[in-house]
Amino acid sequence: MSLHSNHPYHLVEKSPWPLIASVSALMMVAGLVKWFHDFKVSLFLFGVVSILLVSAQWWRDTVREAAFQGLHTLKVAQGMRWGMVLFIVSELLFFFSFFWAYFHSSLSPTSEIGAQWPPASINGFNPFQIPLLNTAILLASGVTVTWAHHAILENEHSQSVQGLLATVLLGGYFTFLQAFEYSESAFSIGDSVYGATFFVATGFHGLHVIIGSTFLCVNLWRLVQGHFSSAHHNGVEAAIWYWHFVDVVWLFLYVSIYWWGY
Amino acid sequence: MSSAESQLPWTAPFDARYPNMNQTKHCYKSYIDFHRCQKLRGEDYEPCQYFKKTYTSLCPNEWVSKWDTQRAEGTYPCKI
Repeated sequence: MSLHSNHPYHLVEKSPWPLIASVSALMMVAGLVKWFHDFKVSLFLFGVVSILLVSAQWWRDTVREAAFQGLHTLKVAQGMRWGMVLFIVSELLFFFSFFWAYFHSSLSPTSEIGAQWPPASINGFNPFQIPLLNTAILLASGVTVTWAHHAILENEHSQSVQGLLATVLLGGYFTFLQAFEYSESAFSIGDSVYGATFFVATGFHGLHVIIGSTFLCVNLWRLVQGHFSSAHHNGVEAAIWYWHFVDVVWLFLYVSIYWWGY
Repeated sequence: MSSAESQLPWTAPFDARYPNMNQTKHCYKSYIDFHRCQKLRGEDYEPCQYFKKTYTSLCPNEWVSKWDTQRAEGTYPCKI
């Protein structure tokens, strides 16, 4: 691939990852259905491990193309930014559907659950204990990630590393507290529409926190490796946008499900 | 009460506990109140009929027959 082409576009080379990723995704969802029906988890786990391996290698290739081969021109980078924006919008719609289910069930509770919300004999979490602490943690992580972002823009390398490291640690603390809260729960995902909506919405949020933390971790490593400049740092910027999205979803979860629904 | 009056249609009046809202809860609570009232005061206690008239006018018949069956089988999910 010549670096002196007469156009700014990245003409990609042959790669095995799209095909393997597709097959892995199929195994994962087929495995999920099998798990639900037969209570055998092996195909799902195989799909997940396969997805993780493909992700690591596909993105490794992308990082090489961006940082070492100079293939991500401003034009290409602009396309990727739009791609990330559209992806985050689609993620917002994903969570919107869970909020729809939650408000559908909670605003006019059926007689089967005692015509009240939370349903009869469901004891929800006290929103002013761990959930409020988690809100403070995520808000603080929003501050530290902005600190890191501005430090990158100002070429303050050491501060950007500190800011990103603090964000990753806060993300890990949030995940730890959520796991602890789940282990202490007085209700399960099978306990009425309350348990179903609660664990599906907060569980998928928790999954996104783990993904966002991993995304930030990889970019912390790339930052330390010197992949970013103040003018060209799309990878870390995408991770920062994603983290803000996870943060905003939590605020809605906290206000609607934990607090209003208590 | 004349027979003409007793045949007038009757709907549940405004109840300040259920203002400007879906009346599911109004129906549900009236059903429970009627059976608690009868249990407490006996089946011949006339004022209990107010609750029955209320839930009869508000609840879908399907719900009432379902709850009646559940009470008969001892599976109604609320203590009467």
